[in-house]
Amino acid sequence: MKRIAFWMVIFLILFMFVFPILWVYITSIKSKADIFSLDFSKLFIFRPTTAHFDNLFNETPFFLEITNTFITSVVSTALVMLVSLPAAYSFARFNTGGGHLLFITISTRMFPIAVAAIPIFIVYKTLGWLDTRIGLTLLFLYFNTSFAVFLLFGFFREIPVELEHAAMIDGYGRLTILRKVVFPLIKPGAALTAVFCLVFAWNEFFFAFLFTRVLARTISVGLTAFWGSIEIQWGPMAAGAALAILPTLIACWFMQRYIIRGLTFGAVKG
Amino acid sequence: MLEETEEGRAERVPSKLGAKRPFLEKLTSEKYFKWILIAPLLVVLLAFMLYPFFYCVYYSAHKFDMVRPAKFIGFDNYRAVLRDVNFWQVLGRTFYVLVMSISGELTLAMGIALLFNREFKGQNVIRGLCLLPLLVSPLAMSMIWNFILQYDFGVVNQFLNKIGFSKIMWWSPKMALYTITFLSIWQWTPFSTFVLLSGLRGLPKDAFEAARVDCASSWFTFRKLTLPMLMPLIVIIILLRTMWLIRLFDPLYGTTHGGVNTETFDWMVYRVAFVFFDVGTGSALAIISLFLTIIICALMFRILMKAMGASK
Repeated sequence: MKRIAFWMVIFLILFMFVFPILWVYITSIKSKADIFSLDFSKLFIFRPTTAHFDNLFNETPFFLEITNTFITSVVSTALVMLVSLPAAYSFARFNTGGGHLLFITISTRMFPIAVAAIPIFIVYKTLGWLDTRIGLTLLFLYFNTSFAVFLLFGFFREIPVELEHAAMIDGYGRLTILRKVVFPLIKPGAALTAVFCLVFAWNEFFFAFLFTRVLARTISVGLTAFWGSIEIQWGPMAAGAALAILPTLIACWFMQRYIIRGLTFGAVKG
Repeated sequence: MLEETEEGRAERVPSKLGAKRPFLEKLTSEKYFKWILIAPLLVVLLAFMLYPFFYCVYYSAHKFDMVRPAKFIGFDNYRAVLRDVNFWQVLGRTFYVLVMSISGELTLAMGIALLFNREFKGQNVIRGLCLLPLLVSPLAMSMIWNFILQYDFGVVNQFLNKIGFSKIMWWSPKMALYTITFLSIWQWTPFSTFVLLSGLRGLPKDAFEAARVDCASSWFTFRKLTLPMLMPLIVIIILLRTMWLIRLFDPLYGTTHGGVNTETFDWMVYRVAFVFFDVGTGSALAIISLFLTIIICALMFRILMKAMGASK
């Protein structure tokens, strides 16, 4: 009896979380008439169609948007890792800046997004960086760095400092220690952080929406284009969303293995 | 054999510490090394935080619309904002969403985490699936929720109709704010769940063993043992979620466009600065919200550090 109740609750939770995502895919293969149908049975029983995907590929700059999203998120993630790995190590090992600097770094994430958006918009306008991939990539770098430092800080603190001391006594220089001792240990944590940054950059909307129009437009901005002045094109929008969230579903599969360990932020040690 | 390695080591130590590459040695001494490591971060912070911050402060004292040259007007922008009834409404609404959302998330997440904190068949798959809402694009999902909750043809209302309830106006001025809160709870409960779950995994077993031997009720164990030990994580969740919720934007764009009584802080800044191009007032708003968040988060950060110190 208790077992049955347990499984019912589990499935209820699962249903709540997964259903809307499932609905994206169901809607994307429904014909327009079926989408607007008030007939209850039509919700689940309908003739599948690929019309919305055809529409998406032929009449919208979908491939450009996907390319833009891919390039900006991958490049920005690489940059974020380059910046935040050494910084997080420095914070964790030497307590650089006595905690204040770490707090300031983390607090960029709590900056009202507009504080940065207004001045950067004006600067980009004068530099001619609006609607360019470089501009967007740098914004994503800013957007993700503090979170990456925060996560990595926790991972670095889990590496016992004795290991490094031992290597130092053995006569290794700091750079060698970083490469041979610290880096292999931080790899899983760094991978998790990188996937987080990738996903965040992939999903980012506010900056992409303000700073791009046509050329560097990302997929999230592209989705809003289906919001016409007369009606919302639900079908193509669902098709676009279905493809836009596909990579994150794959990332999710990768992350579920690490995430239970990863999200402790080093606060509670096992 | 042992002596050989000892000799080898003795040879290597001086060569590493010696004057072969004095410049590199100096750079990798702790004093400089830590700052070199952190330098790229400082550049990013300077370019994307400090500079915009001062720019914002500067423009908040000016009347500026991105076309005509800026005109200095002192504190007039702040005065106008603080006298604006709409501003106080938006502020109150933002905090309302904050409190509702975080308390809802924490309660749900704690329940789910306790449920997941046992072995069951297919646990990895099920946990993985529960992670989904966190990772899919908030904008895409808010548009999908908008679709699911449409009055006429939305699946939820059709289902409600089928089982005999009346349809609900999810996006009416009365309901919309709660619907938005629901969306944010839906999206972020997995985050809190997984943080709490990882915390539950790391709890020491012996204390619970002792509680069981003493026949403590499960509610008592939860309240006196589990909850205090998870406190640091709960504070972290509240801290992070506060920071993220104040910047609530995507769900609004995908659904109400800030209409029907759902305008929150960041949307107001966006509307003032990027729709009306009133950069001066927008900057003033941004600075005000910045100070509000800093005060809230500094308080929480202090609590967090205390809690983390206590748990060690």
